[in-house]
Amino acid sequence: MPIRIHIFPQPVRVGVVKVVVTGVTDGMGEPLAGVHIQVEGDRAHPGMAPVFSDAPETAPGTYTARLNFSMPGDWVVLLHIRLADGSKIERQIDVRGVAGP
Amino acid sequence: MTKLQEASQEEEEFVEAPPFDLLRVPLIGRFLEWKHARTLLAIPMLAVSVAMILQGLLGPTLAPKNLATVLTWVHFRGVLVLALLCAGNLFCLACPFMLVRNAMRRFVKPRFNWPRALRNKWIPVALFALLLFCYELFSLWSSPWLTAWVIVGYFAMVLVVDGFFKHATFCKYVCPIGQFNFIAATASPLEVAVRDHEVCDTCGTKDCIRGRREPAGRTDSELVILQRGCELALFQPAKVGNMDCTFCLDCVHACPHDNVGILSRLPAGELMTDPQRSGIGFFSRRKDIAGLTIVFCFGALMNAFGMVSPVYTVEAWLGRLLHVQERAPILGLLFVVFLLVEPALLLGGAAWATRAWAGVQGAWLSVTVRYTYSIAPLGFGMWLAHYGYHFFTGLYTIVPVTQNALAELGWPVLGDPRWTLVGLPKTIVEPLEFGFLLLGLAGSLLIAWRLAEDDSEQHAVRAFTPWAVVCVILFTASVWLMMQPMDMRATMMAG
Repeated sequence: MPIRIHIFPQPVRVGVVKVVVTGVTDGMGEPLAGVHIQVEGDRAHPGMAPVFSDAPETAPGTYTARLNFSMPGDWVVLLHIRLADGSKIERQIDVRGVAGP
Repeated sequence: MTKLQEASQEEEEFVEAPPFDLLRVPLIGRFLEWKHARTLLAIPMLAVSVAMILQGLLGPTLAPKNLATVLTWVHFRGVLVLALLCAGNLFCLACPFMLVRNAMRRFVKPRFNWPRALRNKWIPVALFALLLFCYELFSLWSSPWLTAWVIVGYFAMVLVVDGFFKHATFCKYVCPIGQFNFIAATASPLEVAVRDHEVCDTCGTKDCIRGRREPAGRTDSELVILQRGCELALFQPAKVGNMDCTFCLDCVHACPHDNVGILSRLPAGELMTDPQRSGIGFFSRRKDIAGLTIVFCFGALMNAFGMVSPVYTVEAWLGRLLHVQERAPILGLLFVVFLLVEPALLLGGAAWATRAWAGVQGAWLSVTVRYTYSIAPLGFGMWLAHYGYHFFTGLYTIVPVTQNALAELGWPVLGDPRWTLVGLPKTIVEPLEFGFLLLGLAGSLLIAWRLAEDDSEQHAVRAFTPWAVVCVILFTASVWLMMQPMDMRATMMAG
């Protein structure tokens, strides 16, 4: 599955950002049905609260969530993807250097 | 009776009131007096250490989800400083490294004495500074893998040092965590101390320092140790304060007169005077311990400075100024400024002013060393504020991380991880931080005042003022750091 993660706006600053997940498709490029995606934002330092957000489907094969980056620094964005058959896929990207407000 | 006499009598009665003795507390005292108490306390610590190493090496790579990073950088540090504040050097009491060392020494008998030239704190001073430097440079807090290797490295270092060298060489002359604890414990309310000095005056065996041995074989020269005496060379009747005391309680177990307790005392009171201390000597003549105090205090500032947003601005500016892109030299320069230049200017300047203004006797360096100890409580306040912040705001994160660790082992007995469990709100934690800093400031000012009174009865205020200024500068810097928006580092040279 050619999943890609985009974060807007760029450069990323503290505050609410849009996390757009594209490519949630089958081998033929057709959007998968019955997919649930939860987006999680974690900080580099342990002991701090992660932020979660559900990502509804906003276009065929595209899911969008809003995450609140509450602090500057490095973040890690995790995708928890549950497919219709119950199987799970995890994806992770590093978001380095989130700037202050 | 005049009012003055009445007051004096009241004071005498207050002073003579028997101190609280933890060993006289039912159950707790009995347990601690049990010979194997330390071992029993260290076993769970060792088990947790092993779990941290395994999870650090094999578990999630994300720091907030791994036991190694969460326990080390959030909970261990927080519990450590809070225990030091509320009781004493409890970590060293339950030290897991000593458990492994003692097990090793059943098979390997060390043959060497630690070289005389190294019997000071300069090695741990360097190691302490190096640890703080590596923490920043390699972002240890964000790497479970590196954190696990730090723990493994620590165990290895203990085994190597104490495998070759006799007594508690590692604790006294190497361990940076131990030195941190020793300095912080000068402000602790409890101390392992003699209950009644008159009993010691009549003691003929001195088991508290010598231990107890009995012949092992046919010749008298072969002796087995029945009970260790103090491995850190602290002779109880002449011991003053908590410096170098690991709370191992060997002296408690060794004393044939049941005359050693864990007694209450005035926190930081040991820094207000300068007696000769068993195993240490005079604080005012120990430049190495003063150096340790400097790294302890100014390292606290540096450690907190690395956590807030302005550090990026400073580092980017330094990078442009020096045409350097790499992180290490910039960070090294900052450490030199924080740990050498800043203390030299502040403490050296205060010592110069004290001598010049109040006429305090002694060489400039001696005065600097003597008064350097006064900033120890302030340094401790900074560590408390910093570590306390992470501990309290991340208090409950241990729950989902443990749930996750068990689930990954295929044993989800605690249920699904509840990642939303975090900790106390900042509205509660921030006043606590201010409280810790204020407590530290009060302690430091009091010590500086008492030293100034001793040095110059006529000009005590003059002798005190420069050090009060130093304390207020450090306090203001700490409060300013606390009020900065917290950053998450790891991107130091990104800008």
